Amino acid sequence: MVDEAKSQKPRVGVYICHCGTNIAGSIDIKELEEFSKGIPNVVRVDEYQYMCSTPGQKKIEEDIKEYNLTGVVVAACSPRLHEPTFRTASKEGGLNPFRFEMANIREQNSWVHMHDRQGATDKAKDALKMAVAKASLLEDLYPKSVPVEHTAMVVGAGVGGIQAALDLASSGIKTYLIEKSPTIGGRMSQLDKTFPTLDCSQCILTPKMVDIDRHPNIELMTYTEVEKVEGYIGNFDITLRKKARGVLTPAEAEARGIVGGGCNGCGDCEGVCPVIKPNPFEMGMAPRKAIYIYHAQVVPLIYTVDFDSCVKCNLCVDICGDKKAIDLEMQDEFVTVKVGTAVLAVGYELFPVEKKTEWGYKRYDNVINALEFERLICASGPTGGKVIRPSDGETPKRVGFVLCAGSRDNTGIGKPYCSRFCCMYSLKHAHQIHEKIPGAQPYIFYMDIRSFGKMYEEFYYRIQDEGAKFIRGRVAKIEEDPITKNLHVITEDTLLGQPVDIELDMVVLASAVQPTAETTHVRNLFGISCSGDGWLLEGHPKLNPCGTTTAGVFLAGVCQGPKDIPDTVAQAEGAAAAASIPIHVGEVELEPYFAMCIEEKCAGCGMCIDQCPYSALALVEKDGREVMQVTEAKCKGCGTCGGFCPGGAIWMQHFSTPQIVAQIDAFLLGGEQ
Amino acid sequence: MAKAKGYSDETLSVRLADRYYRPEESSDDFLENVEKISMTIPHMCYQCGTCTGSCPSAPRSSYRIRKFVRRAVLGLENDALTDPDLWLCTTCYSCTDRCPRDIAPTDVIMAMRNLAFKREIVPRNFLNTVQFIYKTGHGVPNNDVNRAARVRLGLEAEPETTAKYPDFIPGIQKILDHYGLKDKADEILAEGQ
Repeated sequence: MVDEAKSQKPRVGVYICHCGTNIAGSIDIKELEEFSKGIPNVVRVDEYQYMCSTPGQKKIEEDIKEYNLTGVVVAACSPRLHEPTFRTASKEGGLNPFRFEMANIREQNSWVHMHDRQGATDKAKDALKMAVAKASLLEDLYPKSVPVEHTAMVVGAGVGGIQAALDLASSGIKTYLIEKSPTIGGRMSQLDKTFPTLDCSQCILTPKMVDIDRHPNIELMTYTEVEKVEGYIGNFDITLRKKARGVLTPAEAEARGIVGGGCNGCGDCEGVCPVIKPNPFEMGMAPRKAIYIYHAQVVPLIYTVDFDSCVKCNLCVDICGDKKAIDLEMQDEFVTVKVGTAVLAVGYELFPVEKKTEWGYKRYDNVINALEFERLICASGPTGGKVIRPSDGETPKRVGFVLCAGSRDNTGIGKPYCSRFCCMYSLKHAHQIHEKIPGAQPYIFYMDIRSFGKMYEEFYYRIQDEGAKFIRGRVAKIEEDPITKNLHVITEDTLLGQPVDIELDMVVLASAVQPTAETTHVRNLFGISCSGDGWLLEGHPKLNPCGTTTAGVFLAGVCQGPKDIPDTVAQAEGAAAAASIPIHVGEVELEPYFAMCIEEKCAGCGMCIDQCPYSALALVEKDGREVMQVTEAKCKGCGTCGGFCPGGAIWMQHFSTPQIVAQIDAFLLGGEQ
Repeated sequence: MAKAKGYSDETLSVRLADRYYRPEESSDDFLENVEKISMTIPHMCYQCGTCTGSCPSAPRSSYRIRKFVRRAVLGLENDALTDPDLWLCTTCYSCTDRCPRDIAPTDVIMAMRNLAFKREIVPRNFLNTVQFIYKTGHGVPNNDVNRAARVRLGLEAEPETTAKYPDFIPGIQKILDHYGLKDKADEILAEGQ
C-alpha cells in the first residue's frame, strides 16, 4: 500500500475538527470544507465534532484504505496536543505516521480571533492549503532506536536528590549521587523542625542519609561537581571534578597501599588545626577549622581540608599518624561516567535580603534571616538551641516575623514569585518562640497567609490560638533604637487602616528564595532551559512537571521552583520514576527529524560544525575528501545547519526545503506550483 | 525610641503627635475581658469580613463589626468603647450564624457594650430604653396604634407580657435593681442635663 502510494500522484485527505464550539464557534466549518475540496491533491474532505475521539480517528483509518491516501491533514488544535493521536491513527490505517500533517486552527486561530468569524475562516483556509502542500510532499520516515545505559545520575544531594537516588537505586539502577558540598543533606539538614508535624528535621532525614551511604546501587560522590556533559538520552558521558579534599577515605587509603588507614572521623586533626573560619552550615554563626566537618551527623563522615585557608603547618598530618588519612598535596581529579538519564536536584539559596535596605538586614544587629533563626533555635546549633539577640545575647521576648521579605516584589530587586514555604515556617517559628521562651509574644507581619498543604490551615489555626499576633501589612521599614538596639517595625494594619509602630527585640526576615549561583552553569552543561525567574524549566507546567525539554534530563525539588519538603520529595519520586523508564525499557526511539548530508553537494567547508548547538556534526573523510557527517542520535533537528549551509547540502528530514517552499508557494500563490 | 526633638508648646506636641498604633499604649487585658464576658474567641478572627457582609446595619451606617473584633485583638479599648458605632448592632446574630471560624461576633459587641457601660459610655436613647423597661417591662411599650392594629388582626389589644400582666413588673424591676442598671441610667441621664 505504502509502496504503491509512493509512486503515484499525491492523494491527501483533509479532516476538519469542530472541537465542540472551540473551533466551530468562530470558524465557518462548512465554508472551510467547501474550500478544501478545491485544494490541489485533495481527494477527500470530512469534518467531525471531535476528530480526536475514536469515531474521528476511525474516519482517518478507513479513508486511508478507501481513498488510497498518501497524506493526511487534520485541521484542529496544536500538534503539541494531538499530533501523536493522529499519527497513530494514520499508522493504524496503513500509512507511515510521518505522512500526517496538522493545521493548527484553534490555539493560533479560533481562540485568538474569537470575534472575527470571516477573518478566522480566511486564515484557516490559508493554514489548510499550506498543510496540504506540505502533506503532498511528505515522505516515509522511520524513527531510530538507541540503547540506554543502565545507570543514572542525580546531581545534588539535598532531600530531593537523596529521594530520587534512593528510588532509582532501589529499582535496580546503578546511580551516581553527586554533591558539591562535603556532606549530603542539603538545606533540610540545617532546619530544626518541620511544619506542620514539628518533626525534628535531622531525625527524619538522617535515616535516608544513612541509606544512601549503605545502598549497594548508589555511588555517592561528595565534594564533587559536574564538569562536562556530552551525549544524549541513553548515552550521556559526564565528566566529574572530584575536588581535592585533602583527606583519604579508608577505601582510597587502601588503594594507596595504606592498610587500615584513611579517615575514621575521629576529629583529632580538627583539635590541632590553628586556622579558624566561619562555618557556612551554621550560617557563619559558629567557627570551624581549616580541616573540618560541617556537623556531627555528616554523611560521609570524612574530614575536608579547606585549601583556601589551610596554612600547611602539617599539625593535622602529624596527629593523624599511621592512618595517613591527610594528603595536603592532593589535586582535583577528573572521572568520566556513562549514564542513561540524569536528575537535577540542585536546590536553592536565600535571596540576599540586605538588598532590600528598608529592613536593615546586615545593618541592624537584631534583624536576622530565617535560616539563621533555624540554626539559633536548633539544639545542635551554635547556641545549643537558646534563642538570643545578636546585639547583647539577651533572650528576646517580642519577636517579629516579616513575610514576603523579597518575594512578590516587582521592583527588580526582589523576586516576583511567591517563595511558597515562608508562611508555613514562620508560623512554625512563632510556635517555637512560644514553646521555648515563656511569656514571649510573636508578631507575624503578612500580606496573605498561604497555608495550602495538608494540615497546613489547621496549623495556622493552632498558632493563632497560641496567641501569635497577626498584623496584615507588608513591613514598610524597620528602625533601630541606637541605644537599646530594639527594632521599630513600621507598617499599616490594613485591616484597621492605621499605621502601626511595633517595638520588638528581634526581627526574623522570611527571605525569598532564588536559584543557587551554580544553577546557570549546571543548566548550560545539561542544555536545559530556565523560566524568566531563573528556575529550571519543566517540560510542561502541568503535564510534564518532572521532565525537561532535553530528553533524558529530569528535575526534582526547588531548582524547578519554590516548594516545601513534601512537594520536593513527591517530585523527586516522580523524576526518579520518569528517569527509570527509558533505562528499564532499554532503548529509546528518537524522532527522525535529524539533518542529513547530501554528500555530492557538500564542499567539506566545516562551517556548519560550529553552528550546531548539540555538537552533532563532524567532518569525516569519505572517498578521498572531507564531508560532514551527522550523529543522528545527537541531532535535535533544529535546522540551524540546514538554514546556514552555503551549498544547500544539508537536508532536514520532515522540514526539507521543497516542503517549506511548497508551503510558502501555497500561501502566496494559492497552491499553484 | 529615644525622643530627641519636641515642640516647646505642649499643646502643639499633642496636636501634631503621630497616630501610630503602638502595642505598649494599648490595653493589656481588653481582649481577655472581652473573651471572658462574651465566652467566644475573637482572637481566632482572620478578618474575612463575612460578619460585616451579613450585617443589616453595615450598609446603612459606618458600623463595621469586623473592625471591632480587630480592635479587641489589638487591645484598642478606647477606640472600641468610645466609638458610637458600637451601639448600631441590632443583635440579629446573622454574623454569628455565618462566621467561618465559629466566633460569635454579636457576643463580642455585647461584651464591649458591657465594658463601655461600666465606664459610663452609653448613648442616651439606650438609657431611656432602660427606664422604659423598668417602668413597663418593654423597651418599646405598647401604644394605641399598636393596640388598634392588634385588634384589627383579631388579637387581644395587649400581648401576653407585662402589658397584660403588670403584676410581674416588680419582678423585672428587682432584676434591674440587682444590677443597679436603672439607678446607673438615671444617674448618667441626670448628669447630662
